Amino acid sequence: MSEAMLPTEVVLGAWVATGLTLFIYSFLYKDNPLFKLGEHLYVGVSIGYSVVLVWYTVFKRLVWEELNRGNYEPLVGVVIGVLILTQFFPKVSWLSRIAFAFIVGFGSGVSIPRAVSSYILKQIEDTVNPLLTMGADGLSLGLDLASPQSGVNTIILLVGVVSVLFYFFFSVEHTGPGMVTARTGIYFLMIAFGAAFGYTVMSRMSLLIGRFRDLITFSGAAYGYATLVLLLITVLSLAGWELAVRLKGGEE
Amino acid sequence: MKDFARRMVAIDRRLIFLLIAGATLLPLLNPFGLPIKVSPEVQAVYEYIEDLPEGSVFLLSFDFDPSSKPELEPQAVALLRHAFRKNLRVIGMTHWITGTSLADGVVATVAAEMGKERGKDYVFLGWAPGGYALIISMGQDLYKAFPSDYSKTPTRGMPVLEGVRTLRDVNYMISLAAGGAGIEMWYVFGKDKYRFEMGGGSTGVIAPGLYPFLRSGQINGLIGGLQGAAEYETLIGRKGMAVAGMDAQSATHFVIIILVVLCNVFYFALRGDKGRPR
Amino acid sequence: MIFLKRQLPLAITFVMGVAFALQYYIPHPVSEEAITKVSDWMKIISGFALVLGIASVFHVHAVKIRRQAPGWGYSGVLFAAIVVTMVVGFWSGGESKVDGGQTSFGWLYDYTMVPLQGTMFSILAFFIASAAYRAFRARSREASVLLAAAVVVMMGRVPLGQFLLPWTWDITQWLMNVLNSAVRRAILIGVSMGSVALSLKIILGKERSYLGGGKDQ
Repeated sequence: MSEAMLPTEVVLGAWVATGLTLFIYSFLYKDNPLFKLGEHLYVGVSIGYSVVLVWYTVFKRLVWEELNRGNYEPLVGVVIGVLILTQFFPKVSWLSRIAFAFIVGFGSGVSIPRAVSSYILKQIEDTVNPLLTMGADGLSLGLDLASPQSGVNTIILLVGVVSVLFYFFFSVEHTGPGMVTARTGIYFLMIAFGAAFGYTVMSRMSLLIGRFRDLITFSGAAYGYATLVLLLITVLSLAGWELAVRLKGGEE
Repeated sequence: MKDFARRMVAIDRRLIFLLIAGATLLPLLNPFGLPIKVSPEVQAVYEYIEDLPEGSVFLLSFDFDPSSKPELEPQAVALLRHAFRKNLRVIGMTHWITGTSLADGVVATVAAEMGKERGKDYVFLGWAPGGYALIISMGQDLYKAFPSDYSKTPTRGMPVLEGVRTLRDVNYMISLAAGGAGIEMWYVFGKDKYRFEMGGGSTGVIAPGLYPFLRSGQINGLIGGLQGAAEYETLIGRKGMAVAGMDAQSATHFVIIILVVLCNVFYFALRGDKGRPR
Repeated sequence: MIFLKRQLPLAITFVMGVAFALQYYIPHPVSEEAITKVSDWMKIISGFALVLGIASVFHVHAVKIRRQAPGWGYSGVLFAAIVVTMVVGFWSGGESKVDGGQTSFGWLYDYTMVPLQGTMFSILAFFIASAAYRAFRARSREASVLLAAAVVVMMGRVPLGQFLLPWTWDITQWLMNVLNSAVRRAILIGVSMGSVALSLKIILGKERSYLGGGKDQ
């Protein structure tokens, strides 16, 4: 962003955003009133935003505008939706069961064939790939570890899937060959969890990088050095609060 | 040595916080710029879009909210730049209510940068509730699912949606996902029945869980986290927020690795105290 | 009355479940029309379900304020934030941008919600580092394997790691595409079988917890 004059609402917004960011980060020192304020503001603004969007999207666009067009089908959805809200009135709360039955029945029904097709059949299909492939030199077992579809990787994948599935099958005692299979599964699991940890670290650090980038931007002259000023104010506020707490503790 | 190890193990965690803050801040202020290596899964997404003819319909679902903005916004920007450069017809939408304005902002900003016109070259449909029911609804009749777009313009008759009646008319779809209501849901309730090709972009947290879908061809490619976004920016030849963040990413990873190594050095030093493994 | 409170909901669940499980295999226009209509109704119903969730949060904090429980002032802040956001939102017609210019609603979103939500989740980066330092120990062979995999992936997924030790990139690719895929696939198959079984139990009336409890369940 150039150092030319920015609109007032942008500069004001930068100060508000920076302040709220530092309120939340103050939790790193310890739980304190600034963090609690930020936390409750976050929930409040999110709920307010959601209410407005639900109003305009559902009630206005999907129901009211359709009714005005002479299409009364959305009323079925409205009636079932109103039945959900009867939960708040104990005398008629049993009516909400009809709504939940509709929702849960539909959800369960549509998910069964799709889950079987997508999560089970397709996954098993890819697990039992051919080990031998026909190339220019005839049949060969691909030994290239770098190629995920090679024969050796297919074997490793099959061993991994079977051993992990077996590990979680607790109806059979894990003894003898079963113990070897289960222990193989455990090692596969440890590798996957390690990879998951690595990716989680990557993800969380990326979020931090994003916030710090904004703080760096808002520390510029164009934004009135918002980050630097508010950082100082936050540190002094925390110091004052800590002192007040210790003094109060000392008196007691 | 054992006293030192004991003191180090009990160190105030706020010092670790300062270390992480420093490792993030310093490379952002003084970048060193290392080459980015492109993975096959990101290359696959790039090549599919690159091979799409002009005028193809590209659906981009922003299935995230501001909490995942640093990872997924760079992916969205890179994908939109590529799609607009290829003159594809872009349809944007979101399943995440709190991500709606963010998604609209990203689409509008990149479109303006690339000289594209709302309604003619792209449309942002906005948010609608229902999750899987919305996908089914779009698969049956897109205009019933979204009678108007986010700016309240009726979708029927929009030039960008000409010839698009259901999800079957979409040429390529990418879900940028931060959680369950994303790639898996789009595949199970969308691609499985309506047979459009799809790829995925995700946060680092959920990326490992999507590899089975990548392997089986259920998604043709996967852009994972900020690293994935940096790879895509490298492919389109336009470095942005993701590449700029990779130096800090490198630094923080190395700090974590050093912390883990030190933790184990001190652990083994203290383990000798008891004479037996703990 | 028992029929209305117990049998009717179970019957609805059964009919809806069976009908829409079979619908997947019936490409007839009537079947397609049925799923189109019901999925449109489900979108509206989901909107009401969101209202339910929001009302629950209201209720919890309203009780806290009424009883003046510890921290009730913050509940007041929450309510104020909800009211202000709603007023600004309705005043702006629910739009973040009008004619290319940002509305007050858009301003509120960009400068309060985005930083708050972003920061709330980014704070985990600090805690993951602290937790890794304190707890990530090679106590056993399994833990050592986990540790080694984590270190290799952390190196292989960043440019500095790829530059210093290029083999970490290749190992990471293999690890993710083969070993990690195997585990995730097994977990996916297992969990999916469980969820299909649960869905069948719900449709057949064996699982009734969704009805909300009570003697007449």
